[in-house]
Amino acid sequence: MTTASPHGDDARSGGPPDLARRLAHALACAAAEPALSGVLLFDLDPRLVRTVADLFTLLLTGEEQPAAVPFTLGSESRDEDLWTRSRLIREADGLAFRTEPGPLVHGDGRPGPPPLAVVPDLGRLSVAGMRAAVQLLSADVAVVERTGLRLAARPRTRWLAACRSQDAGRLSPHLLDRFALRLPVAGLRLPPLETLLHPDALPAAWRAAALHGVPATRVTDDTLTRVSDLLGPEAGARRQLALARLARTVAALEGERTAVPRHADTAARLIGLAAPERRPADPSSGPEEAAPPPAPPDATAGDGGRTFADGRRDRARRPARTGEPLFEPEPAEGLGPASGGAPNGPATPFPEDETDAVRDFAPLRSPWQRRTGASSARGPVIGTRRARDLRDIAHVRTVREAALHQRVRRTERFTVVPVDLHSNIRAGTPERLLVLVLDHTCRGDDWDWQESLSPFLGWAYTERAAAHVVEVGGAHAADELRAESFAARSLLDPRLMPALYRPAGRATPLAHGIDLAVQGLRRAFRQHGAGLAEAWLVVVTDGRGNVPLRASRTGRLTAEVGVTGVEDALTAAAGLGAMDRTRLHAAVVDAAREPYGDLPFALADALGGQVVPGRAPRRTAGGEGR
Amino acid sequence: MNAAAEGPRILPYSRVVGQAELKLALELNHVVPRIGGVLMAGTRGTAKSTLVRAFALMVHGELPVTLPINATDDRVLGGWDLDALIKGETRPQPGLLEDAHTRGLLYIDEVNLLDDHLVNIILDVVSTGVLSVQREGLATAKQLSFGLVGTMNPEEGGLRPQLLDRFGLMVTAGQLGAEDRHRMIRTVLDFEEHLGGSDETGWLADAERDTAALRDRLERARQNVPGVRVPDDVLRLCAEAATRVDAVGQRGEIVATLAARALAALEGADRVEPGHLLRVLPMALRHRRPETAHGGTFGWGPEDQDRVADLFPAP
Repeated sequence: MTTASPHGDDARSGGPPDLARRLAHALACAAAEPALSGVLLFDLDPRLVRTVADLFTLLLTGEEQPAAVPFTLGSESRDEDLWTRSRLIREADGLAFRTEPGPLVHGDGRPGPPPLAVVPDLGRLSVAGMRAAVQLLSADVAVVERTGLRLAARPRTRWLAACRSQDAGRLSPHLLDRFALRLPVAGLRLPPLETLLHPDALPAAWRAAALHGVPATRVTDDTLTRVSDLLGPEAGARRQLALARLARTVAALEGERTAVPRHADTAARLIGLAAPERRPADPSSGPEEAAPPPAPPDATAGDGGRTFADGRRDRARRPARTGEPLFEPEPAEGLGPASGGAPNGPATPFPEDETDAVRDFAPLRSPWQRRTGASSARGPVIGTRRARDLRDIAHVRTVREAALHQRVRRTERFTVVPVDLHSNIRAGTPERLLVLVLDHTCRGDDWDWQESLSPFLGWAYTERAAAHVVEVGGAHAADELRAESFAARSLLDPRLMPALYRPAGRATPLAHGIDLAVQGLRRAFRQHGAGLAEAWLVVVTDGRGNVPLRASRTGRLTAEVGVTGVEDALTAAAGLGAMDRTRLHAAVVDAAREPYGDLPFALADALGGQVVPGRAPRRTAGGEGR
Repeated sequence: MNAAAEGPRILPYSRVVGQAELKLALELNHVVPRIGGVLMAGTRGTAKSTLVRAFALMVHGELPVTLPINATDDRVLGGWDLDALIKGETRPQPGLLEDAHTRGLLYIDEVNLLDDHLVNIILDVVSTGVLSVQREGLATAKQLSFGLVGTMNPEEGGLRPQLLDRFGLMVTAGQLGAEDRHRMIRTVLDFEEHLGGSDETGWLADAERDTAALRDRLERARQNVPGVRVPDDVLRLCAEAATRVDAVGQRGEIVATLAARALAALEGADRVEPGHLLRVLPMALRHRRPETAHGGTFGWGPEDQDRVADLFPAP
């Protein structure tokens, strides 16, 4: 990746580039229309998050008012940081304590500009943050029922999130679907804010609408049909509704009282969606059509409208037809950090439809783990107890305890004494994790691998570790091209024992198994912050994977396999290299099968781990074939 | 503190497009509250939450008692009003379970994402019918009874079998066809347009009138339920159908009978016919089949229907 500044200089061109202009237009729509409160930018340069947030804030609050500082959510965000805020207030008779709505809901039910929440990396957002997003975005009512606070109001907070398009497939579609406005912005270069906010780029009427909202606007039936064509038959209802609302807002910003199909086209262009050719019967096409950016000579769009400007949509399955490109890839526009502005990611507002990444396991559920060590400071609060130190004090509980004794103490002011102090009891968060990758096709009838695994299982049992089991090549797998996995609270989970003795199937999707394990580990380390103290990845295999990763992901085996299955496994294993090796250990239990007896060693090298002898090697003249 | 609620902007119940099964389940549960609640499963964007809120607004005139997935246990169980405590007053603050008892219904959005410790609390109360609080200077035990209404997206994980069984009926939201989807978007945009401007065409007034007519129909059915007879042969049919689908426990049969009775009342009949039972069987039994109770699919397919079809006379 280039290190060129993403903050462009527009002096030579005389105005902001198209992508920046579209972004500003989209943000103005999101500011003006509460139903478009969630903005998700794919492949935004991390250095631009702050600038885009500043732009959004300026649109929401106007330049006359002091800009509120946007609230940032990340991997460390907890429920108590998001929903409530404890305040000490000086009053005439001393300090008073009050619980107020937290940063995500403090603007609800109140006048003034809506607050802005910024998620710099949606892929790394904590579980609490993701759950908050699911509860608030696109919701009719936000309900908060937390200690000291009851609230039910229409959510007003606008969200600005950034996400790498390659992470989109990992995330919960349930979460992604809540963001009404999504833009691919790979290669975005932003001119100074004053250029973007100049009336030539962002008309004064739009800025006024962003501040005060837009008037009621009618949407014609033709426009809805156009929206449906643009998104295609497979699009969910939320996407259609979001694009229709965007078209309505675009029309309202232009001062129109009725949204017509061309507004749907403009809306599609705004979010980087390509459109199929307009039907000739459509009366709104023609002279009133806004001029699209010039089409690249090879631009294509697919049937049903679900194609994108980069033509990445599965052309093999769908007949291609000439389209009307509404979104110009960066090279022709000279945008982007690299010379020529090559896009860094797929230019589609719905990358999760295109990606072949594997989804996280139950990403919106609070993790359940047990622990042996000191109580965790990061899990969800499940109660309070008398404090033993000053860490993680439960303020409300403490004040409540103090309140009970005020009359007895006969002090003039509200007094909190040490005996009132209570701290939170928190549910366990991941502290230790055993990830087991079991390649059933390497076990054979001559080896009971439990003996080789017992040191690891013993560690996991005594440390109360959670277990994540990935099964490769089981006889009863739903799809033999794919590995299967499950997460268990502990080794005592009833699914574990059958998993250890599953009969072998025909295929060995080892690469997929390693990939699942690496993803599980990455999620455990990333999203649960510093909670994970130690993790072991134990792979029992002979290394002879025979299913390429792509075949596992797509579910189709299309070409000769050759060594791809093995190479993909090594590549997937290398993904572990960047993780915190002081807390993560890896081991490969060698099944000692011939030929290719060195594969487990190669895998251990790629994982950065050690090889543990498993089955006693038994060499025969012809080797052992599978 | 209690923050004031801004007026909800929920699509009127009579204007929610499609999802006939979801609507029917809510209506049956209202006509015979002893059914014990409704679980709605469906993929994203199928108007599950909207439907529940719109229904509550229609029949109660206010939003349902809602348990958010991140509620704290003192708000669920009840405790002290903090602002009053600081002023030296002791004012108990009822929890959501008590509120639900008063209003008959507890709504849990994204119920499959609810934290385990809250699920345990709810299970304790709904299975014993007693809310016992012995903490923070409170010592109370109250008899509570309420129906559970939950919505969930099965893509995000399942429910514990014990909790699943506590929902009287379970329905799955289907995806709308192209025409219905067009109507749905048309309706939502019309609703927003009329809310934002003047209701010159009377759109909102028409919707309110239709909703009121629906409410009256439900109230009439509620009053008529005691007069609806349940013949013995329908009870036998119900027991046989539950056996055929290997329903776990007996709650399924009881709920199916109650729901069939409610349906008969809704349709103005004075006795339950086998056809009433056949229509409500999937709602009452789909989540009590062994494969569903242990994390399988919620679908009620043709093979499920075939297992019970020959019990019922052909229509």
